[in-house]
Amino acid sequence: MTVTTRPLEAAPGASLARLAGSTPFVKLAAGVVLLLLWEFGVRAWAPAYVARPSGVIAVLPSVVASRDFLAAAAATLGSVIEGLAIALVFGIGVGIAMGRSFVVDRLIRYYVFGLFAMPMVAILPLITLWFGYTDAARLATTVFAAFFSLALNAADGARAVPTEYLEVGRSFRAQRLRVLCDIVLPASMPYLLAGIRLAAARALIGAVVAEFFISVNGLGFFILFNSRSFRHNQAIVAVIVLAGCGAGFEALVNWVTHRYFPWYRRDEKR
Amino acid sequence: MSRRALGWLITGAGIAAGAAVWEIAGRSVGAAFVAPLSDTIAAITPAIWRALGSSLVLFATGFSLSVAIGVPLGLLLARVRLLRVALESYISVLNATPMAALIPFILSMMGFDFAPKVLVVFLFAVFPILYNTVEGARSIRPELIEVARSFRSSERALWRDVLLPYVLPFALTGIRQAIGRALVGMVASEFFLSASGIGMVLQSASQSIDTAAVFAAILLVTLLGVFLMELGLWVERRYAAWRNIQ
Repeated sequence: MTVTTRPLEAAPGASLARLAGSTPFVKLAAGVVLLLLWEFGVRAWAPAYVARPSGVIAVLPSVVASRDFLAAAAATLGSVIEGLAIALVFGIGVGIAMGRSFVVDRLIRYYVFGLFAMPMVAILPLITLWFGYTDAARLATTVFAAFFSLALNAADGARAVPTEYLEVGRSFRAQRLRVLCDIVLPASMPYLLAGIRLAAARALIGAVVAEFFISVNGLGFFILFNSRSFRHNQAIVAVIVLAGCGAGFEALVNWVTHRYFPWYRRDEKR
Repeated sequence: MSRRALGWLITGAGIAAGAAVWEIAGRSVGAAFVAPLSDTIAAITPAIWRALGSSLVLFATGFSLSVAIGVPLGLLLARVRLLRVALESYISVLNATPMAALIPFILSMMGFDFAPKVLVVFLFAVFPILYNTVEGARSIRPELIEVARSFRSSERALWRDVLLPYVLPFALTGIRQAIGRALVGMVASEFFLSASGIGMVLQSASQSIDTAAVFAAILLVTLLGVFLMELGLWVERRYAAWRNIQ
C-alpha cells in the first residue's frame, strides 16, 4: 500500500489530514460518491424500474438466497471453468507446437490469428446449428472464446524460452518430450498466465452472450429474463456477480504471477 | 532456399490445405452444417457487403467515441494523482466485467435505435483504453516529473515532453485491445438490439438455414477483424517503438 506521507504536513494533530490522504480512504470515498451519483441520478431522471443502489441492496439477500439464482450462477461459472479447462489443454498443446516448431507455426498461424481476431459472437448462429439450443452450445462458445488467446500466448511463451536453457537440456541429452515438459512449459508459465487471464475474460463474455442467444439457464439468461420483466434491481445482482468473478479471477492470476514469477514484466501483447 | 522463402512456402501450403479441408468437410458433412468454401465465396453478395458497411459505421462511431473520451480521461488521470488513486480500482473492475451483461438494461432503457448500439460498442471499447492508459500513468517514474519541475518546466511543456510521450504508447496498447472488444460489441449489439448490418444477415440467414450466407458473413467479419487488428498493431509499432512490441 502506498500511503502518501508528506513530512511537511505531518505536523502534530494532522492525523485527520493524513487519513484523508491515505489510499484506502480515497478509494472508499470515491466509491461512495459514485454510488450516490448513481442513486440520485436514477431518482432524478430515470423511470422507477431502473436499478439503483438502495433498491439493489434491498433485494440482494433474497436474490442471493434464491435457488434460481444459485442454479444460474453455478451453470454459467461451471461452463466457463469447464470451457477454460478444455481450451487450456488444447491451447497449450497447439501453442507450444507453434512456438517450438517453425513448420507448425507457418502452417497454421494465419488460421489461429484469424480465428482469434474474429468476434466470437459471430459464430453463435453456427454453434446453435451444430449443437442446438443446449448447454453444449454454451460450452462450445466458451471453449472457442478462450482457445485462441491461450494458443497465441502459449506460442509466444514457447518462443521466448531462453536458448541457454535448451542448450543445457541438449548437453544432458534430454529427450524431446522431457525438454518440452520440464523446460519449455515451466519457462513459458508467465505468458500462459497472461493468456489465461485474457481467455477467462473472453470466456465469461462468451458464456453471457451465448445465454442471451440460446436462452439456456445461467446468469446471462437471469439478467435477460429479469430485465425484460422490469426487475432491474434483481438483474443487477447477477451483473455484480459476473463483475466479481471477472475481477476476482484477474486478481488471482495477477497475484500468482507476482508471487511465483516476480521477475516477469512484459507488456501485454494481446 | 532462404528460411524466409521457405516460411512463406509453408504458409501458402497451410492456407491451401485449410481451404481444401474446408471444401471437403463441407461436401462430406452436408451443406446445411458446413458450407464448402466455394459456396461460401459464391454467397458473398452485394447485400452482405452493404451490411458490412453499415456495421462498420456503427463500429467507427462507437470506437471513435471511446477513443475520444477514453484517452483524454486517461491522460487527466495520469496527471491528477488523487483522481487516479480514487478511480483506478473501479476502472480495472469495470474492465474485467463482461459488458455484454449490460445489453438487456440498455435495451429496456433506450430501446431500438442507433444510439443504444453505439453505447454498447463504446462500453465494450472504452475500458481497455482507460485501463491501459492508467496503467501507463501509474508507471511514470516520479523522478521524470521532478526533474522537469526542477528545471522550472511549465505545465504545458511537462505535458508535451514528459506525459504525452510516456503515456501515449500505453494508450495505443489499450486502443489495440479495444478494437477486438468493439468488434464483439458491434456484432452483439446488432444481434440483441435492433437487428442491422452483419448481425442481421447472420441471424436471418441462420433462421432460414442458409449456411452459405452464414459462413460468408462470418468470413467477411473475420477478415475485417484481422485487418483492423493488424492496423492497430502497425500503429502501435510505429508510434510506440520504444516499448518493444514484437
